[in-house]
Amino acid sequence: MATTTAQITLTSTDIADNALSISNTMTLTTAGTETGITETTGLARKKIASATEVDLITIANTDVTALKSAKVYIKNTSTATDKYALIGVGQATGTPIYIGRLYGGDWMLFPWSAILTDGDGQAASIADGGTSAHAANDDITIKMNDSTETVIEYMVFFE
Amino acid sequence: MATTTATLTLTSTDLLTDSLSLSATSTLYKAGTTTGLDSIQYEKLEVAAGTQYDMVDATSGGANKANKVYVANKHTDATKYVEIYIAALQIGRLYAGDWMLIPLEAAAATQDVSVKAITSAQVIEFALIHEGKTLAAS
Repeated sequence: MATTTAQITLTSTDIADNALSISNTMTLTTAGTETGITETTGLARKKIASATEVDLITIANTDVTALKSAKVYIKNTSTATDKYALIGVGQATGTPIYIGRLYGGDWMLFPWSAILTDGDGQAASIADGGTSAHAANDDITIKMNDSTETVIEYMVFFE
Repeated sequence: MATTTATLTLTSTDLLTDSLSLSATSTLYKAGTTTGLDSIQYEKLEVAAGTQYDMVDATSGGANKANKVYVANKHTDATKYVEIYIAALQIGRLYAGDWMLIPLEAAAATQDVSVKAITSAQVIEFALIHEGKTLAAS
């Protein structure tokens, strides 16, 4: 098994009267185990020069197993702090749920359920006896705020 | 203005043939500016099992900002996890020891960020770093 760690350090000396210092390290493991994740897309770079919403990561193009412990890293490598990439979950041709904006220099790391829809288009939905509203495949979508060419880096860890 | 930085270090010596060593640092600015986010909410919470609880009310922090949400599952049993939701959509699972950092769009009042502990109560740490929020009137 592989050992992959992700450490975050959140620091500020002046956001409050007392300094903020959050440090946390996780080992990327398969779901429900202490076995290290062994599969990754590798680090990818994509140039985007359009404000059209597109799929950045398409479940069907990966081997990600749904409802496990996959993690997604995305970074907007631009230095323009007034321009952003809007990251969502869903399908670019549908109505994704937006997570948030990555302005130039911002990064994010989050778990990914990567659920595909089932026959009725509502995988794990209330109608299926579940609790979620997955009306579309949970692809990772991206929409730039304008057509300025921007390089986005991303990487998926999965089983 | 405040200066807050978020640094990620991703490493592995055996995931790939060559070592993985990725580092990223961002300064947390207000949307579209170089002015630092200057407000924070930082909590440690026990989440009861089976019910979806809001961590962030989408209306309180303002929509379409550059606010950031940090969540860590502090449980130690590797089989336990919490589900993270935006609105009714399950984004992913945070197993014991996992953490996440995301920007927060809160595009609609329904797009709260919520958490549900599966099979047992679990303790999480949660931080919202933001540019000001509206307190609910009593």
